[in-house]
Amino acid sequence: MSRLLSTFSARHLVFLVVLLAATIPLLLNIRLTHTASDETKHFYANIDSLPSGSVVLMSFDFEASAFAEIKPLAEAVLRHCFRQNLRVIGLSLFAEGTALGEQTLSRIAREKGKVYGTDYLYLGFRPQCTSAILAIGESLPKEFPTDYFGAATATMPVLSGVTNYDQIATVISITDGGMPTYWVDYAVTRYHARLQTVLTATMVTSFYPYISSGQIQSLIAGLKGAAEYELLLNESGGGGRGLLAQSVSQIAILAIILAGNMVGYLDRRRKWQ
Amino acid sequence: MAIASLAAAIVTVGIFSFLYRDNPFYRACEHLLIGLSVGFSLVLLWNSVLIPKLLQPLFIEGRLLALIPFVLSLLMLLRLKSSLSYLSKPVLALVIGSGAGVSIPAMFEARVLRQIAASVEPFGVVGDGSVSALMLLGMLISLVGVVTVIVYFFYTRPDTKAFNGVSQIGVYFLMIFFGATYGYTVTSRLTLLIGRIEFLLGDFLHLL
Repeated sequence: MSRLLSTFSARHLVFLVVLLAATIPLLLNIRLTHTASDETKHFYANIDSLPSGSVVLMSFDFEASAFAEIKPLAEAVLRHCFRQNLRVIGLSLFAEGTALGEQTLSRIAREKGKVYGTDYLYLGFRPQCTSAILAIGESLPKEFPTDYFGAATATMPVLSGVTNYDQIATVISITDGGMPTYWVDYAVTRYHARLQTVLTATMVTSFYPYISSGQIQSLIAGLKGAAEYELLLNESGGGGRGLLAQSVSQIAILAIILAGNMVGYLDRRRKWQ
Repeated sequence: MAIASLAAAIVTVGIFSFLYRDNPFYRACEHLLIGLSVGFSLVLLWNSVLIPKLLQPLFIEGRLLALIPFVLSLLMLLRLKSSLSYLSKPVLALVIGSGAGVSIPAMFEARVLRQIAASVEPFGVVGDGSVSALMLLGMLISLVGVVTVIVYFFYTRPDTKAFNGVSQIGVYFLMIFFGATYGYTVTSRLTLLIGRIEFLLGDFLHLL
């Protein structure tokens, strides 16, 4: 223990403060009151306006390392889709997102009492995102003759009348990277697909220009986006639960930055004197 | 499920132990993560691509057309033997050539032409009363940002005060972008931390 304490530095103090700032609010289980931003309302309205039975193509394009951030967002959007009785077709253009996408889709579908093959379907993974996106534009049933589990898709009611992007009401790319740019390049530009994105907070600034140009219809991002979406849905989930922890952690980081600068300034002042 | 939670909790703590300092426990967890990722991807590619798209059509259904990608794949693997690696070059050329042919027109339209149009199009409706003063100000700032940042990346520009001054304004726009992105990144990483703490306290310890 004494050895542990002897190696304890200011760096470790910073980690400890952030850890406590993230942990204590979770234990207190206090939910912050907040309002939904316009961009989240826009995303919500786009899904809400789709007629029952419309097809949503949901692409789980993320790595396992980002799942903690993606999960509440994906769950909230899926709950909304199933509440609207939309047909959800899932796939993944990222190997790591394949199993996590299937788990998330199946869990929320079961929670909402949906039937596989009738209300939702998981097509699994396709490498080479460019060719996969282009192939869906030509013929989705031809590109995916079998689903993730190897079952034939041709007879599944969920795919009834679905040939390509013309019959897909919206594509939702759930991602922690630049995958929506490929959807924009090939699905939106070439096939005029309607695209919405669910992003990690890191990626938001990269995709605002696509919102302005209308190439992406709307986006939601990060824990705050999830909390706002849950608020609009009037359902509780991971977003609302973590919002206070995130806010307290951000305040703690700001305090650490201020304290660090203050100590640095006082140190320099002492040296000048 | 309890064993899965226990394993996840152990490796979560193992990865976080790096915050104290580098240690064998962290290294083991790191190697496990990389090994699992590669193993999972390999199995997935085998099951979702190689079997249904290549091996089954060729060897079970007898579709000889699948022989073409099969041979091309084998030629690509010859890169591993230096004396025969030249045989992989036509395959690489095919991949790069077809990739460029598909990508360049699409990217140019989506990322250049549409973005330029989005930057200037709103000015076309300024006169019809649908644009408020605040929106106009936003549009002007956006346009100044686009032009000055492009000037900043115009490396062969003449070294004059006017060009340097404009490019300096571009630097400020870039700094605002990087600042916003960095802020969002910190937020994003905090969310990942919160996700793991939630797992440890909730799914593992059942305290939430």
